[in-house]
Amino acid sequence: MALRQIWARMTRLDRLIVVSVAFLCLLLFIGIGLSRPGETVEVYRDGELVFRAPLQEERTVPLEGSLGTTSLMIEGGTARIVDSPCPYKVCVGMGAIDHSGEIIACVPNRLLVRVVSQDESGKEPGYDLLSR
Amino acid sequence: MSRLATTILLFGFLLFILFWRLDEPSGPLSRTRMLMGTVVEIRVDDPEPERFRDAVTAAFDEMARIERLMSLHLAKSEVSRISRAGEPVEVSAETATVLRTALKVSVASDGAFNPGLGRLIRLWGFTDGEPRVPSKMEIEEALVGIGPESLTLEDGKLFKSDRSITIDLGGVAKGYAIDRAVEMLSAAGVKHASVNAGGDLRLLGDRDGTPWRIGIQHPRKKDAVLATLSVADRAVVTSGDYERFFEQAGRRYHHILDPYTGYPAERCQEVTVVADSAALADALATAAFVLGPEKGLELLQKTEKVEGLIVAADGQVVFTSGLQEIVQWP
Repeated sequence: MALRQIWARMTRLDRLIVVSVAFLCLLLFIGIGLSRPGETVEVYRDGELVFRAPLQEERTVPLEGSLGTTSLMIEGGTARIVDSPCPYKVCVGMGAIDHSGEIIACVPNRLLVRVVSQDESGKEPGYDLLSR
Repeated sequence: MSRLATTILLFGFLLFILFWRLDEPSGPLSRTRMLMGTVVEIRVDDPEPERFRDAVTAAFDEMARIERLMSLHLAKSEVSRISRAGEPVEVSAETATVLRTALKVSVASDGAFNPGLGRLIRLWGFTDGEPRVPSKMEIEEALVGIGPESLTLEDGKLFKSDRSITIDLGGVAKGYAIDRAVEMLSAAGVKHASVNAGGDLRLLGDRDGTPWRIGIQHPRKKDAVLATLSVADRAVVTSGDYERFFEQAGRRYHHILDPYTGYPAERCQEVTVVADSAALADALATAAFVLGPEKGLELLQKTEKVEGLIVAADGQVVFTSGLQEIVQWP
């Protein structure tokens, strides 16, 4: 066997390196396959992306809309609107979002907050679109 | 280190890079815009979707044009002009198309869906102003003369039996805008796409050789789906009492009004309709919601090429016979 011959010709250090590299590659493959890239919050104003951040980094962000400043809070892996200048505060009442595809919209202030996952296959529900 | 070991190492490294590159997803093109008081998302699933970027922009622009034409909130819109008119008034071919769909469903549902409900909707303040429960007298006044025969369309002219009748095409205009967006995408050569206006959907083709899987929102559990439908090339529209509502004196009032009583319809929690056009699906979903599980199901059954499911006020689910073929329950 050619492989056996190759193996026999190697020094001990060579073998150690080959085995380590093979092991490292395996680990990386498994790592890439299993780990889901973190989910991200995106904010759009009139269709333009105005803010983007990982859902894991806690912060409160002021977002300028057509009526004034809407406050977006990212906390505990979720995003919610905590304050808004719009009249009925529907966006505040929509609560927190954390799953890919979920949306908070403040129509009067022209802002759209959505959670996206860089890995589409990481989308958790068993459907492509939700009718509601 | 021997040359052989170096070669093996390099080979392993190359394999790794190759695997990494292959793994990179080339996802669908998805864009959102706020239109008609909701969030509209257009998604193109064709290979190399980026080439359809301009087509998606054109589809959004078409929806915005229809909003300008048919919104009751814009004083210059054609629908506002028709609403103000006292005499029989000429309507554009496009608005006539939407009105025809609305009037057809109005007659078929015996007025459960009514495009002349603008006055009542404004009174409740669901679309503009502060929502409130109107007085009994106000409601009775708003209901005068709005039966299914109060509006007729003849030779491109709309006849109103009473000049104070206010047209509200509401969901049907939104449905028509969705349909037009899909037509624009199709004309540009798109084969697989979806247009989603706040949960009212129309699908162009299938997803990629397999049908689209459409989750139906559970009417009482925010994070759950009631069922999943496998559909292609069709519209799926859901009307629910959980969508828009307000509370007054401990009672919940939702936005789907019963033209017979003037109050929110009470017979259903949710209705989903699958049809060839979003405009028709929207009108039928509202009509069935008002009619309730028995008469609503009858209406859906007798309408050609339409399927649907109804969640009654007590949570019981009924559905059309053809739905069985496309539905999966959780």
